[in-house]
Amino acid sequence: MQGGGHDIYTQEIIKNALNAIGDEMFDALARTSMSPIIYETLDYSVGMTMKNGELITQGNGTTAFLGMIDAVVKDVLEKYGVNDGIQPGDVFISNDPYIGTHLSDVALVKPVFHDGELVAFLVNKAHWVDVGGSVPGSFSPSTTEVFQEGLQIPTVKIVEGGQLVSSVLEMIKANIRVPAASVGDFWAGVAANNVGESRLLGLFEKYGADSVLSSMTALLDYGESMIAAELKNLPHGVFEAEDWIDDDGVGEEPLRVQVRIEISQDRFVADFSGSAAQALGPINHSRAALISAVRTIFKALTNPHIPANGGCFRALEVVCPDASLFTAERPAAVSTYWETMLHVEELIWKALAEKIPERLTAGHLLSVCGIIISGVHPDTNEPIILVQPLVGGWGAMHDRDGLNGQFCIGDGETYNIPVEIQEARYGVRINHYGFHDEPGGEGAYRGGKGVRLDYEILCGEATFTASFGRHKFAPWGADGGCDGSNNYIEFIRKEDTDGRRDVRGKASSERLRQGDVVRCVTATGGGWGVPKDRERRAIENDLRDGFVSDDRARDVYGYRS
Amino acid sequence: MRISTDVGGTFTDLVCIDGDTVTIAKTDTTPPQFDVGVLNAFEQAKIDPAQCEQFVHGTTVVINALLSRGGAKTALITTRGFRDVLEIARGNRPDLFNIAFKKPAPFVPRHLRFEVTERVSYTGEVITPVALREIDAIADRLRDQGVEAVAICFLHSYKNDEHERRAEAHLRSLLPEASIVSSSEVCREWREYERTSTTVLSAYVHPLAKRYLGELQTKLGKQGLRDAPFIMQSNGGISTIVGAQKNPIALVESGPASGVLGAAELGRIIGERNLIALDIGGTTAKTALIEDGRARITTNYRIEWNRTNPGYPIRTPVVDLVEIGNGGGSIAWVDEGGRLHVGPQSAGSSPGPAAYGRGGGDPTTTDANLLLGRINPKLFLGGAQEPDFDNVRAVFRKLADRLGGDVEDVARGIVRIANANMVNALKLVSLNRGYDPRDFALIAFGGGGAMHAVSLADELMVSKVIIPAHSSVFSAWGMLMSDLRRDFLFTNVIAVTPENAERIETAYQTLEQSGALECEREGMRKSGLRIERYADMRYKGQEHTVKVELPGRGHEKMLQAIDIFHTAHKREFTYSLDAPIEIVNFHIAIYSEIKKHALAKRRKSGTTVNDIQTEIRKVDFDVDGIRDARCYDWSGFEPDMAIEGPAIIEDATAALVLPPGRVAVMDDFGNIHIDMER
Repeated sequence: MQGGGHDIYTQEIIKNALNAIGDEMFDALARTSMSPIIYETLDYSVGMTMKNGELITQGNGTTAFLGMIDAVVKDVLEKYGVNDGIQPGDVFISNDPYIGTHLSDVALVKPVFHDGELVAFLVNKAHWVDVGGSVPGSFSPSTTEVFQEGLQIPTVKIVEGGQLVSSVLEMIKANIRVPAASVGDFWAGVAANNVGESRLLGLFEKYGADSVLSSMTALLDYGESMIAAELKNLPHGVFEAEDWIDDDGVGEEPLRVQVRIEISQDRFVADFSGSAAQALGPINHSRAALISAVRTIFKALTNPHIPANGGCFRALEVVCPDASLFTAERPAAVSTYWETMLHVEELIWKALAEKIPERLTAGHLLSVCGIIISGVHPDTNEPIILVQPLVGGWGAMHDRDGLNGQFCIGDGETYNIPVEIQEARYGVRINHYGFHDEPGGEGAYRGGKGVRLDYEILCGEATFTASFGRHKFAPWGADGGCDGSNNYIEFIRKEDTDGRRDVRGKASSERLRQGDVVRCVTATGGGWGVPKDRERRAIENDLRDGFVSDDRARDVYGYRS
Repeated sequence: MRISTDVGGTFTDLVCIDGDTVTIAKTDTTPPQFDVGVLNAFEQAKIDPAQCEQFVHGTTVVINALLSRGGAKTALITTRGFRDVLEIARGNRPDLFNIAFKKPAPFVPRHLRFEVTERVSYTGEVITPVALREIDAIADRLRDQGVEAVAICFLHSYKNDEHERRAEAHLRSLLPEASIVSSSEVCREWREYERTSTTVLSAYVHPLAKRYLGELQTKLGKQGLRDAPFIMQSNGGISTIVGAQKNPIALVESGPASGVLGAAELGRIIGERNLIALDIGGTTAKTALIEDGRARITTNYRIEWNRTNPGYPIRTPVVDLVEIGNGGGSIAWVDEGGRLHVGPQSAGSSPGPAAYGRGGGDPTTTDANLLLGRINPKLFLGGAQEPDFDNVRAVFRKLADRLGGDVEDVARGIVRIANANMVNALKLVSLNRGYDPRDFALIAFGGGGAMHAVSLADELMVSKVIIPAHSSVFSAWGMLMSDLRRDFLFTNVIAVTPENAERIETAYQTLEQSGALECEREGMRKSGLRIERYADMRYKGQEHTVKVELPGRGHEKMLQAIDIFHTAHKREFTYSLDAPIEIVNFHIAIYSEIKKHALAKRRKSGTTVNDIQTEIRKVDFDVDGIRDARCYDWSGFEPDMAIEGPAIIEDATAALVLPPGRVAVMDDFGNIHIDMER
C-alpha cells in the first residue's frame, strides 16, 4: 500500500470526502437562502450523482426528496444527453412535478467536468415560497389541474456556458409573487452547487480520476452490501395493510389505498396495485414521489444511519399501475402531493409495525400540517406570506411512549419558526403554542402529544390555506393501543355568534379579518399495547403533567386514586 | 508569581510563571471534589499559594453538571400559553430516517413549567401587564417541590425585559434561597426556544457552580491565596469570581477556549496572526481559526448535538470551534459493509488503548502510532510502563485478517483515516468558510498535537507548523495570557441607513453603559475598560448573520463595516448582494487588561544537535516509507539548533514526528517551527 494510490484506506478517505460534499452543499444553501422555508424549515435537499444519474450522496433536510435528486438528473440526461447538449458551465432548472414533487420545489442541476469529461452532476432541490398559480404560496387543497398551481419550468438551461440565460429568469420572475426572495434562493442554489463542484474537483486533482471514480462505485457497492445484510434480518413473507385518505380536497369521499409487501432474503417488493385511481383534487403524486416514499421507509426499516446512495436501493422493487393516485399523469393536480406520499410510507409502516417493533412506532400525525397565511404586515404594510409545517404527536413504541411535538416522517431536519420571529416578520400574534390533552393514543405506552397553535390575525384582512391529513381517520394504535386524535383547523371568528364550531381538515384561501383566530390542532399519535397494561406510575405522571384528564384516566385506564 | 490550573476530563494541569521560570504539573482530575485535584497540583509543583499574585482557574464543572445531569432541580416560569416551548424545542429530527428516534428530554418536566399572564409584543410594547400575584401560588408549589433553581423567560424579553425583572424581584422576595435566572441576564437574542433553553440550563448549573467556586476560593484562601481567583470563560476571556458565580453558563467551554486564546496570544507575540489552532486530546480533537490575531466568537452553541441528536442550545458567547471524536484513545472498527472507521468511541484511560495491557481489546490511534515506531516505548505513559506489544499485535492481527494486508498496513490505515478525519475538521473551520489554508500556520498542542501536526499540515497545505513550548499543558498556559472579558449582545433589528445612524449609535452607547455598569458590579475596574463593537449583520430577508467587528464609531465607520460585511459574506458564501443590510444583533466585548510578564526567552547553553540525539529508531512515515529516524530529547532542544527529518523529538509528555525533508527550528521562546512551504 505504499504510495497512497488505490489502496482501501485511500478509498475510505475519498468515500468520506464524497459524503462530506453533500453536507457542505447542504450547509451552504441553508446559510444563503432568503426564505424561512429553506433556512428554518430546511425544506430542501442537495446531492450528487454519477454521470449516469445514479445517486452517490445526498444531504437532506427532509426525507421527501430521497428519489428526486437522481430523477431530475435522469430527465436532464434524457432531454440533453445527446448532441453535446450538456456543456461545462451549464445549469439546468426544473420543477416538473411528474418527475418530482410539486411546482414549488425547484431543482438546479450542474454537470461537473474534469479534463473535459462529464464526471458527475450536482443537484439541489428547494421549496420556493411561491411559484405563482391561483393562491399565494402556490399550494392549495382545491386545485384540479397543474395549470392552476403555478409556473411550470420543464427542465431548461438557466445558465449556459457560465452565462445566465436572463430571458428565462425574467420569465420566472414575472410569474411569481415574491421574486426577490426566490431569485435570492436561486443564487443560493447556484452557490451550493458551486461549493460541491469545487470540492469534487479538488478530489479529482488530489487523487486522480481513476481513484475518485472507483471510490464512487465502491460507495454504491457499500450501500448495497450494508442493506443486503439488514434485509436478511427482516421478517420474510408477505405483509399487507390498507388505509383511507380523508378525501381529495375537491370531493368528500374517502379514498382507499393498500400495499402488499413481499420480503425475501434479497428482495423487498412493495406492490400498491388496488389503490385509488388518480383523483381530481391536488393530492396526486408522481411515480418518482412514490419511489421516494418507499425508499424512505425502506431505509428506516433496514439501516437508517448509513449515508443514502443508489446502492442502498438496489434490492428494492416498487410496483404500481399507471394513472393511480401514486403514479399520476399530466395534467393531474399535485400541489399537496406530500400528504399522499406520507400515506405510502405509513402503509408499509403499518403493515410491519408489529413485525419489526424495535424500528417502528404506532401511527403518527402523518400529515405535514402545512399552513399558509397571507396578508400584509400591520406595521409595515408589506405583503407577507407565512408558510410553515406543524409539529404533532408520534406513535408509541413497544417499550416507550411516543414523542411529543415532532414533525412528521416527511419532514426531518425541519425547524419550526420561532414564535418571536413569526410575530416580528409576519405581524401575526400567537396566543398559544403547546400540547393539548384531547383524548386518544392511550395504551400500555401512550402516543406522543400533538399541539395547539392559535394565530390571531392583526392585519385588516388575510387568507388562510392549509391541508391537514388524518382529519377523518386518526393515527392507528398498535397491538391493542388506542387510535390517536385527529388533526384539524378551527376558525374562531369575531363575528361568529351562533356558537357552532367551524372545524375542518383543509382550507383554501379562507378569508379572515382582524381579530379572527385560526386554531391549528395536530394529532396525538397512536398508543401501543392495551391501556389497562399501562403502569400506574406512568398514569400518575401523565395526570401530574396534565397529559391526561382525570375522567379519561378513569375511563380508559381504569385508574382510581 | 502567576498560576493557572486547567481542570480537564482526565488531568488537572497547572502552569506557574515566576519571572523567567515556568513550572508545570499534571495530576489526576478528582471528581466530584475537583478542588482536591487543584490542591494536589499545587503540591506536586511545590508551590505555596501564598506566593501567588494572580490565580486563573479553568473548570469543567459546568459542562460536567450538564452532561451528567448533575444539576439542581429546576423550574421554569414563562408566558401564559407557552410552557411547552421548552419541550417542543424546534421539532427537528436530525436522525432523518430513524422512526425510533429519541427526542432529548427537557431539563424541566412539564409539571415544573409554570405560566404567568403577561404579554409583550415584538416591538417591546406591553400588551398585557405581568400578573405578579400569580407568582405567589407558583412560589408555594416550588417550595413544596423542593425546587432549587428557577429560570424565567418571557416572550420578546430581548426587546423589553421589564416583566422578567419584575417577576424575578417578586419571586426573590418569596424564595430568597433559590437560584433565580432571568433570560435577559444570560441571553438577549430572539428565538424563544433557544433563549429559554439557555436560561434553563443556566439555572440548572447555577447552585452547583456557585457552591464550587465559593468553596474553591475559601479552600485556596485557607492555603494562603490572597486575591480571589479569576475564572476562565468560553469566550476566551477571564471573569471575576463574582461574575462567574452570577453567570456560570459562560464557563461551559472553559478549557477549549483557553487553548485557542493562548494560540492567538502566542501568535501575536511571535508575529503569526493567522493561525489554525488544533488541540488533540485523548478523546477528541478541537480546532478553531484565528484571523488577524482574533478567534471568532459565536453564540450558536449546543451541547450533545451530533448527527442524530438535536442537542440543547446554549446562546452564550463561545469560541467558535469544531470538535470531533478523534483523539489518541479513539477506537478503530470495521462495520458490516467492511469499512474501517476511527472514533468517535474512545478507550479512555480505562481500559485504555490495547498497549496499556489493562484488558483493552480494541485497536486505537495510540496503538497504531506505537506500532509504527512513532512513540518511544521507553517513554510510553511517561516512561512508567512498558507497552503490551503482544496485546497490540493480537488486536491488530484480527483487523488485518478482516481487511487484508499485515499488521503494519492496518496501523498505517488507522493513522491515515484518523488524519483524514482531523483534516476534515480543519477544513470546516478554514476552507469551508472561504479561507485559504496557505495563508495560515497550524499551531498544534495537547497530548497528540505534535504527533500528527506535520502530516496534517502537509495535507491541508498550510504554510507552517508551530508546536508551542509546554504543548501538553498549553491550555493552562493560555489562561495566563487572558484578559478580563465580558460580552453583551442583544437582538434589535435595524436597517443600516444614514437615517438610522443615530439610532444605531444610541443602541451601542446604551449597551456600553449598561455593560460597563455590570462589569463594575462584578468587580472589574471602571478605569481602563476597553470596548470592542461587533454587529451581526445580514442582507434584509436573510436569517443567518455574519459577525463583523466595527472599525470605529459613527456612520462613516459603519460604511466601512458594510464593506467588511460584503467581503465576509462573499468569502463565506461565495457571493455578495446589492441589497439593503440590517443589523440583527448588537454585540460588544468589554475588556479590562491584566498585567502580564513578558515571555521568558529560552536559555542557550551552546550544546549542539548531536548532543541531544538519544537513539536511532525505525519509524514508519507512511508514504515516505520506513526510515531510520534520529530521536532527540525535546528538553535539550534550543534556539539556533535545526533538526532535520526523518526525526522524532520527544519527551515524556509528547512526541513530534518530523518526516524526511522537513526541518524543525526553535524560536527564542522555545516554540518549535516547521516551515511547510519548501
